[in-house]
Amino acid sequence: MASLRTTSRLFASARPAFRTQMRTMASVSTPAAEPEPRTKTFHIYRWNPDEPTSKPHMQTYTLDLNKTGPMVLDALIRIKNELDPTLTFRRSCREGICGSCAMNINGTNTLACLCRIPTDTTQETKIYPLPHTYVVKDIVPDLTQFYKQYKSIKPYLQHSTPAPNGKEYLQSKEDRRKLDGLYECILCACCSTSCPSYWWNSEEYLGPAILLQSYRWLADSRDEKKEERKAALDNSMSLYRCHTILNCSRTCPKGLNPGLAIAEIKKELAF
Amino acid sequence: MASFVRPALLRQTGLASASTRAFSTKLAAGVSHSKPAASVLSRQAVRSAFAKDALPSSMRVAAFHAGGRQQILPPLPQSIHGTVNDAAPVPPSDPSHGSYHWTFERLISASLIPLTIAPFASGSLNPMTDAILCGAILIHSHIGFEALVIDYIPSKRLPKIRLLFWWGLRAATVLVGVGLYEFETNDVGVTEAIKRIWTA
Repeated sequence: MASLRTTSRLFASARPAFRTQMRTMASVSTPAAEPEPRTKTFHIYRWNPDEPTSKPHMQTYTLDLNKTGPMVLDALIRIKNELDPTLTFRRSCREGICGSCAMNINGTNTLACLCRIPTDTTQETKIYPLPHTYVVKDIVPDLTQFYKQYKSIKPYLQHSTPAPNGKEYLQSKEDRRKLDGLYECILCACCSTSCPSYWWNSEEYLGPAILLQSYRWLADSRDEKKEERKAALDNSMSLYRCHTILNCSRTCPKGLNPGLAIAEIKKELAF
Repeated sequence: MASFVRPALLRQTGLASASTRAFSTKLAAGVSHSKPAASVLSRQAVRSAFAKDALPSSMRVAAFHAGGRQQILPPLPQSIHGTVNDAAPVPPSDPSHGSYHWTFERLISASLIPLTIAPFASGSLNPMTDAILCGAILIHSHIGFEALVIDYIPSKRLPKIRLLFWWGLRAATVLVGVGLYEFETNDVGVTEAIKRIWTA
């Protein structure tokens, strides 16, 4: 609104003949009354490592949805800016490409920046960290093990022969198409932390996100270490703790299908 | 009675902490769960444990899960092997517990479908198909329970209990195998037994 007034004022000063008309138009577009506030309650998991003896608890915040952006991340940022600067969470890109703001919202692991605030103000929204993770603070989970496991699958092109044209490894369009649905993974850990098998055995089981990445390198036509990659997965724990529960495919905020990728790895290993 | 009251009391202590919005969850494993003091339990609290409708269901569920003593195998404090930049260790390749095992398991599972239908489709009760069906079911359930033991009894944390369940499962499988053999040789056999119960 303010910007509209400024523009109209500039416009009016430039052309004095229209001044009265412009003022009328501005006053017409001004809303007569404030809209009814839509108060939404958020319960957010709080735990402070500086007070290790106090138990984690749920803290309640209320926001007017009329003054808040549409996504849960907007609400969290507004709470941090205006209500409680001690609230801690990770966020970066606010558009679902960095995977920082993965958290458990109303019982589903998702990215806060891709999750709309449910507009039903009678329902309260609950926000927890990713389940079965060690919590660093509030809704910040510790993903050290997740990243260590990612490193263990060697997530890079392994190639010993030089490229035929001396410059780069080429790939046909068909081979490139095999990587669609795999390369988009942003490693937000939503799927891995939704997997009961990963909850119980995260020390040894790699989990859906890392197995999807394993398959991304197994499916790559340019990679020359397929047998080594397969051998690394061929034991009772790394891959075969997957019992096709498929929470991973259901929860993926990017719409990928880690369950299918794991099934493909099992098929490649079986025959 | 005592066994009934105890979980109710635990639930109630959970509620006492729930009223101060202090839920303990598995999430913050670094936090030690202090056991609620018994003096917290007033008579009022014990009485209301039986009046279930007095509380919203979400609070009851939360209080039930918040009881620290109800946790089976609570998570240990976080430990990082090596530095944070080291890759997680890759276990040695072991196809007999990996891909061969999986393929065998799937073959057994898939073969159970025709084996179950065959005796009823053919109309004859061949003791040979009966024996194959029994064997397949036995192996199938052994593999299933084996997966349960691997999933829920971590060998690193509970090596002795793991071994106990391991050999317990093997003993149970052998026992069931012997039982089925006796049933097949000295009695009517599984298919005929199911048929008789079905038509009884």
